[in-house]
Amino acid sequence: MRRRPGIGGLQTAAAARDQYRLLGENVAKIKTDLMKEQLATFRSQLEDFARKHKNDIRKNPAFRSQFHEMCAKVGVDPLASNKGFWAELLGIGDFYYELGVQIVDICLATRPHNGGLINLQELCHLLRQRRKSDRGVVSKDDCLRAIGKLKVLGSGFEVISVAKRKLVRSVPTELNKDHNEILELAQAQGYVTVEEVERRLSWTSGRAIDALDTLLDEGLAMIDDGHQDGKRRYWFPCVSPISSSIGVDS
Amino acid sequence: MSGNFLPAVQLTESGRPVLQPNEIECFYLSSVDLLSEDEPSSIPFPHLKSRLLILTTHRLLCLPNSSSPNSSGAFAVPLAAISHIFSHKKSIKSMFASPRIRFQVSLTPDGRVSGNGSRSVVATIVVRGKGDCDAFLTKFWENWRARAWEDDGPAPGSSSGSAFGSNSASASAPASSGIYSSDGTVRMVGVAGILRKEQEMWESTDKSLQDAFQDLNALMSKAKEMVMLAEKMRQKLLSGSTSQTNASNDEEMGTKEEMQDWLLSVGIISPVTKESAGAMYHQQLSRQLADFVKVPLERAGGIVNLIDIYCLFNRARGTELISPDDLLKACLLWEKFDAPMFLRKFDSGVMVIQNKSHSDEEVFSKIKVLVTKPEALRAGISASDAARTLGVAPAMAKEHLLSAESMGLLCRDTSLDGIRFYINLFTEIDQDDMHLVKDHGVYASWIRVNHAP
Repeated sequence: MRRRPGIGGLQTAAAARDQYRLLGENVAKIKTDLMKEQLATFRSQLEDFARKHKNDIRKNPAFRSQFHEMCAKVGVDPLASNKGFWAELLGIGDFYYELGVQIVDICLATRPHNGGLINLQELCHLLRQRRKSDRGVVSKDDCLRAIGKLKVLGSGFEVISVAKRKLVRSVPTELNKDHNEILELAQAQGYVTVEEVERRLSWTSGRAIDALDTLLDEGLAMIDDGHQDGKRRYWFPCVSPISSSIGVDS
Repeated sequence: MSGNFLPAVQLTESGRPVLQPNEIECFYLSSVDLLSEDEPSSIPFPHLKSRLLILTTHRLLCLPNSSSPNSSGAFAVPLAAISHIFSHKKSIKSMFASPRIRFQVSLTPDGRVSGNGSRSVVATIVVRGKGDCDAFLTKFWENWRARAWEDDGPAPGSSSGSAFGSNSASASAPASSGIYSSDGTVRMVGVAGILRKEQEMWESTDKSLQDAFQDLNALMSKAKEMVMLAEKMRQKLLSGSTSQTNASNDEEMGTKEEMQDWLLSVGIISPVTKESAGAMYHQQLSRQLADFVKVPLERAGGIVNLIDIYCLFNRARGTELISPDDLLKACLLWEKFDAPMFLRKFDSGVMVIQNKSHSDEEVFSKIKVLVTKPEALRAGISASDAARTLGVAPAMAKEHLLSAESMGLLCRDTSLDGIRFYINLFTEIDQDDMHLVKDHGVYASWIRVNHAP
């Protein structure tokens, strides 16, 4: 197209732009048609897969976790939305969202007891008790994924690792490094004393008392002054071994 | 004779079988018999005794034992012709008898072993030697499932495999060729390698899961393609919104919505841009949610925790639950159609749904009234006191108090009893004359209350 000066040139340029735009739209349309086709093929392949293996996914936690890993590798999130193919055809969405609701329930019910921090093992145990009638086994991996999804709603749902254990946090309180170290220490016997903290972690007494008081404030620790030697013990329900009689109502 | 029935195997001078290209030997069993236990002996299945059985990726070779002088020939059963392998049932009888492995071979009408035969016969391998029967059976399954012969083009049993063209080849490729290294052990490479490791774990418990893993692999490779396409779409979406949008017509809006829908179906979280309204699903959900949330919002005093709504909504739904991402997206879309509530994020990270009528000013004025009461002037208020008055949950009340504090309305007092909030008197104190007390004002009432004789 030869560039012409003046109005004619402008008009030609405008016409050329229009034509390019139309062409671009056409190309885009072809791409979208292609995408539609691909989507349909993918959907039917997923349907086949679902027909054969829907039960496997429901019943077998190892298969489930493998499935998730592969999805993550590919870059899709099967739990992103209930509208997605994955949720629709494999029914995998409902399983995890329901799990999420139950986890929130349990965390709320145990909050007066442990201040909003619960041992992952205990959580799984309570979950299984609650879900006795439901088909399928819930593995730790499932819990972790459900909690991972809940994170998006704020309210501080998160899994933190303290030494060998994993704790699930359900309150927005942030735990800094000092608190984590105390929790680690508490895992041995379920409680710590100020002396112990000072000795084992080589802290000053001010620092130890400060950290313990904060934990107390947040409700994560409980005081026990009734011991024979008169030393104050700080108990941490969240890192204690599984307490069987919490009495969580459904 | 048997020569017509089973295809022959070429032998080298030293009696080793000549393998097909890509064929790899996997297992040896010596002193086995191969026969057919079916009744109608019209099918001329040979009864081969004392053979050396070699399992390869493509065939089951039956070679004469080197000790027997006059070799009646070596034969092979192509794995492609096998339609079923029976699992080994352990019974008391089988403990004393020699282990037997049975499989079903399909035949053409005139008795030749082939992949697409109409008749079938059940053949049996009787292991009379010392071979490990279970391991052999496992390998037999593996090889049969792997269908390594389909990768070599003109092989007999590959008709269905090549129908889908490149898709199927890419899907079956990771599972078939290249997984066996030259010494017969399985090579651990890439995704196929990982799958193999998992498979080996499960083989002893559940053979059907092998099937599942292979299907999963095929599915995932397809999903990968989708993701690549979707990424291109997503780039287009993002770039489309930044370019000149004043010329955007309804048509373009429609395709954008469609694209969002597709991304959602495949499982890719797409951004809600300012112009686009997100997938149709989220728009509908947003309206549904707005209607649903009205009642709990009123009950909770105009403000409710997002996670509580998630539980309430999902419980009400029963099935077809929504994901947390869905909920978040739906809340974000409220501002598009002027819903009477909005999503609010506090500094601590807590997200709540708040009624528009339940504005901050209202809450602050309520708090101010509460905090200027005589008891409050003396002892301050805690979060639970505020919760009672405001009619909201204690956690929400705490958030309100904290935001009132950041507005300069309140002061906090941290003690062993917890945090209590008092009215902020610093604003009333004159900087130049600290002891001046105006006759009216909160400072005066505070002094009156606290220093009453």
